[in-house]
Amino acid sequence: MGPLAPYEIISESTNFLLAFIIGIGFGFVLEQAGFSSSRKLAGVFYGYDTVVVKVFFTGAITALIGLLFFSLFGWIDLDLVYVNETFLWSSIVGGVIMGFGFIIGGYCPGTSFCGASIGKIDGMVFIIGLFIGIFIFNEGYPLWEGLYKAEYLGDPKISTWFGLSDGFFALLVIIMAVAMFWIGEWAEKKFPREEY
Amino acid sequence: MKTRVVLSITAIALGLLIAAVPQNTTRPYKVNPEQMLTEIQSEQQFISPEEVADMIVQKLPTYQLIDVRNTNDFEQFSLPGAINIPLESILNEEFQEILNQDTKTNILYSNGNLDANEAWMLLRQLGYSNNYVLQGGLNYWYEAIMNPASPGKSVSNEELAKYNFRKAASRSFGSDTSAVDNNFIPVNNTANPAPAKTESKKKKKVSGGCS
Repeated sequence: MGPLAPYEIISESTNFLLAFIIGIGFGFVLEQAGFSSSRKLAGVFYGYDTVVVKVFFTGAITALIGLLFFSLFGWIDLDLVYVNETFLWSSIVGGVIMGFGFIIGGYCPGTSFCGASIGKIDGMVFIIGLFIGIFIFNEGYPLWEGLYKAEYLGDPKISTWFGLSDGFFALLVIIMAVAMFWIGEWAEKKFPREEY
Repeated sequence: MKTRVVLSITAIALGLLIAAVPQNTTRPYKVNPEQMLTEIQSEQQFISPEEVADMIVQKLPTYQLIDVRNTNDFEQFSLPGAINIPLESILNEEFQEILNQDTKTNILYSNGNLDANEAWMLLRQLGYSNNYVLQGGLNYWYEAIMNPASPGKSVSNEELAKYNFRKAASRSFGSDTSAVDNNFIPVNNTANPAPAKTESKKKKKVSGGCS
């Protein structure tokens, strides 16, 4: 039955419309969860606020459980669900750059737009930085094209790598997430910070 | 606090359940004849020459071109980066590693559609899923990319954009000396070298990410 777009059950325009609605929902949830505050995001790294970890892990395990059950019931063909391809080196380098940007700027791309849309100046400055980064990447593309495309791995799964079934791996992720919630709550009590 | 405990327990319970049930079996490993027929009719194995030209120009490492013509033809002319696996040796042990993997997308081509399609059907029967066919083969490639005909004046913007893309791609191959020479002369050994464009049901490339 699913996924809807590749099976042409819904048209491309409907797909975009749905994406638009989901995007607004996503932005709304980010804002409501307080992600438009850079202090909250930076809090993860210092342990005084772990809402970000909790929200993202909740999102991840909800989607994980949902997709696996949908697949079990034959509602979705997981082979047709697009997975970002892995280019090992650009993933590592990009991850490091993104991590530094996150901790220095206090935002990731989505949340910076959230912050800017409610008038946070640091969010706007972050967006300007984002475009400077895009500009540098594009103008300097020939310099890092080799690195960008190196070590193409297709779309491998960690579960296949370790020879585990998808379901068992999902269980491990869920246990990890639940443990993370409790550790997060503990850290918030251990490293409290008043008024941020 | 109570909701948290309930939610944690629910999540773990669902996890246990999904770990215990066997993995989904909606897609059998080998295709049965009915499925094969549907796949052939929907022509979802085809990749358009434009898409392939774009991959070559961008030097994407995500695909592998496979020439299924005989070695002689391959040596006379081949697409940039292609390897040669003649149709008659497609079942050889040494090529299975290339044909049956899910890292790179294989694109099979021959002069027309025929040989590449036969190869694709064989591989599909074996349960290999990552193989596609260059639509119209080299004949259509030559016609569409290397030597695109002007669409005339009264065409839609879409047609014009397509023509401009083909022109640009053609120039880009022309300047790459090793890639294309004039040895290739289109051969008319197939009934249907230039099939109508079909919408394929391949994985849609969407960009995205979190945050």
